Amino acid sequence: MSRVLALWCPDWPAVAAAALADLPATHPVAVTSGNRVIACSATARAEGVRRGLRRRESQARCPELYVAVADPERDARLFEPVAAAVDAAAPGIEVLRPGLLVLSARGVSRYFGSEEAAAERLVDQVAAVGVECQVGVADQLSTAVIAARRAVLVPPGGGASFLAPLPMSELAAEPSLSAPHRGELVDLLHRLGIRTIGSFADLPAVDVASRFGTDAVLAHRAARGEPERPPSARTLPPDLEVEQQYDPSIERVDAAAFAGRALASLLHDKLSGAAVACTRLLISASTGNGEHLSRTWRCAEPLTPEGTADRVRWQLDGWLSGRSEAKPTAGIAVLRLEPVEVVSAGALQLGLWGGVGDEDERARRALVRVQGLLGGESVQVGVLSGGRGPLERITLLPLGDERVAAHDPTSPWPGRLPQPAPGSIFVDNPKVVLRDASGTAVYVTERGVFSARPARLTWGSKEWAVQGWAGPWPVDERWWDTAAVRTAARAQVLLEQSRALLVICEGGRWSVEGVYE
Amino acid sequence: MTDVVEAAIGESDLSRQDRLAQLRNRMASIPAGGDGKAVLSFPAGASAGVPVDRAAKVGILPVPAGIAELLPQGGLVRGTVVSVEGASSLLVGLMASVTASGGHVAVIGQTRLGVLAAYEMGAKLERLAFIPAPGPDPVEVAAVLLDGMDLVILGLAGASVPPSRARAVVARARSKGSTLVVTDGHWDGAEIRLDARVDGYGGFGQGRALGRGRLESLSLAVRARGRSFQPRTTRLDICSAAGRVEWRPTREVSAAQVVAL
Repeated sequence: MSRVLALWCPDWPAVAAAALADLPATHPVAVTSGNRVIACSATARAEGVRRGLRRRESQARCPELYVAVADPERDARLFEPVAAAVDAAAPGIEVLRPGLLVLSARGVSRYFGSEEAAAERLVDQVAAVGVECQVGVADQLSTAVIAARRAVLVPPGGGASFLAPLPMSELAAEPSLSAPHRGELVDLLHRLGIRTIGSFADLPAVDVASRFGTDAVLAHRAARGEPERPPSARTLPPDLEVEQQYDPSIERVDAAAFAGRALASLLHDKLSGAAVACTRLLISASTGNGEHLSRTWRCAEPLTPEGTADRVRWQLDGWLSGRSEAKPTAGIAVLRLEPVEVVSAGALQLGLWGGVGDEDERARRALVRVQGLLGGESVQVGVLSGGRGPLERITLLPLGDERVAAHDPTSPWPGRLPQPAPGSIFVDNPKVVLRDASGTAVYVTERGVFSARPARLTWGSKEWAVQGWAGPWPVDERWWDTAAVRTAARAQVLLEQSRALLVICEGGRWSVEGVYE
Repeated sequence: MTDVVEAAIGESDLSRQDRLAQLRNRMASIPAGGDGKAVLSFPAGASAGVPVDRAAKVGILPVPAGIAELLPQGGLVRGTVVSVEGASSLLVGLMASVTASGGHVAVIGQTRLGVLAAYEMGAKLERLAFIPAPGPDPVEVAAVLLDGMDLVILGLAGASVPPSRARAVVARARSKGSTLVVTDGHWDGAEIRLDARVDGYGGFGQGRALGRGRLESLSLAVRARGRSFQPRTTRLDICSAAGRVEWRPTREVSAAQVVAL
């Protein structure tokens, strides 16, 4: 059985902001985004500052409050020394977000003697770089993270009973472990009378799955202390990693951001080609002086290209401009991204951008995902084209290609079919035979008229009486080019039992182009 | 024809050459067998006769005029499954009405649907995607598309989807608020079943005029059945008017036609 150790630095954005401003740990600090407080230090909290408060309101409650604007890059950069310090004592760490990392507890507790000793040692290790942290150990990742918020070591097999008395909101407290709408789910369950994680865990899994969304299933697994990811994570397809060499090497953060974006899009081309999405990513770099750096990032949601680019940028920023002891002595010469864990592409959840007005983007992403599953040509979009027949007048192009019509639709197309167009189209043009009353085949003459009055139409083994017709309308295309010349004639034929066909005569033989139905 | 010509001359003071070129262009663009109606471009915002108040309603996808009367909600309810069989104009009309009102439609399998016909009914082609070859599991493709599309048309190619599989897809449609239309196969538990039959054509010459004229309109008899309402039947015309194709309800339904369904 696995044991996971989570190391959590409380109020990380506020701690990072204070560290950058060289403020003492006791100074009240708040970090705002969009004029609202998103994080604050413990001393600020004691003065009445809360998450979600307006900036002015929080300053009124605590006049000496230091207010900083949210900056994920600052958070990531300042967290790198912490990650490096933990990594030095216990290799194999995975960063969930700046301020929270996890590692397998098994090796480290064996090395230090016990889980308690390991936790104590890691807290000391982090304190040495001037940061406070708490450690939690449990069987499952999400349980360990909640345990870290309470600095608890949960005994093996005790995950569910540890979680049971805790309020439901704990399941939504950690943004890097839950989908964006977890808060709404918790709120809904609270209104339904489910107040503790234990009462949620008591619900049958089938009922949860059939009434709430995918995220609820994951939350329910977490509440029961089960692995939140189903054990059937996809086996890694080969050759997914991407690597890029840089000459001259990357020394500056803005160059690193640019490189990260290009590499992320390269990686996602490969991932979508293999129809998978990445949930755990190993970022590694080599410097000109032969140093090797690497860090694993782990995410609750499969990574999007933007999410990957962000993490690469944060990590490079941390290495290049951090205050870490392990700061490289030269620029980064080789950068490598390697997916460590993947899920099937269908699991890539939307909704991160799913606000109102993003419908086009949502639709496009769904189509791109199908393209990833079935291949580039599989999704087609039409554009109005010039032409005479119903098939020629629509050009179908693969999604993502420039929508250029095969022929100019604004040019005059004499002999074009009148409206309405047939509701059914035959791409393979099945052959039919048109005969007159005496059984002789009917064709269209050089002068563009029927050779005789059509009376019967045979299609495969079936035959109908012709009740009416319209046309024929000659199609005389590309007469100037002997290789591509096309002489044909279209006609509408009304059959008994109410069925009208669009037929075309080429070289004396009739075939069906469409059915008016 | 003359009023068109005069309007063209009157509204511009082009040179004689330009005017002649313009008029030749207009004449050439008259469709074959034309009766003098010039083909006009679509007026901006042309839709397939969708009542605006219905289209604006949240949670309901608009349907062509005439079909709306058949449905208790006046349209396709988001998050439900509808089964459509029979004449393909009905599917084409749904494609047109949903995309014209700003929705996105994906068509899986169905390679025979007349895209040009949808365009003539006012469909916006850029919001209409086709997956002609969905591979061995079209239902899975539909489940992925329900995430982002307002309407997914799934051609089952004669297959029957087991209820356990269908339930999972229905749950997805419900949570994403998109509507699944299944056709050409068996799907347990569709909330509404629509069945369309061709009921005659207009525009073909009869008797002495046999072989003249051209197809101008198409009549459909449509029946809707559902769990929450009595089966209803209507008859409507799809006809070409002023450069576009419209759906027009025909009120009177004869007993014979109802029996024929």
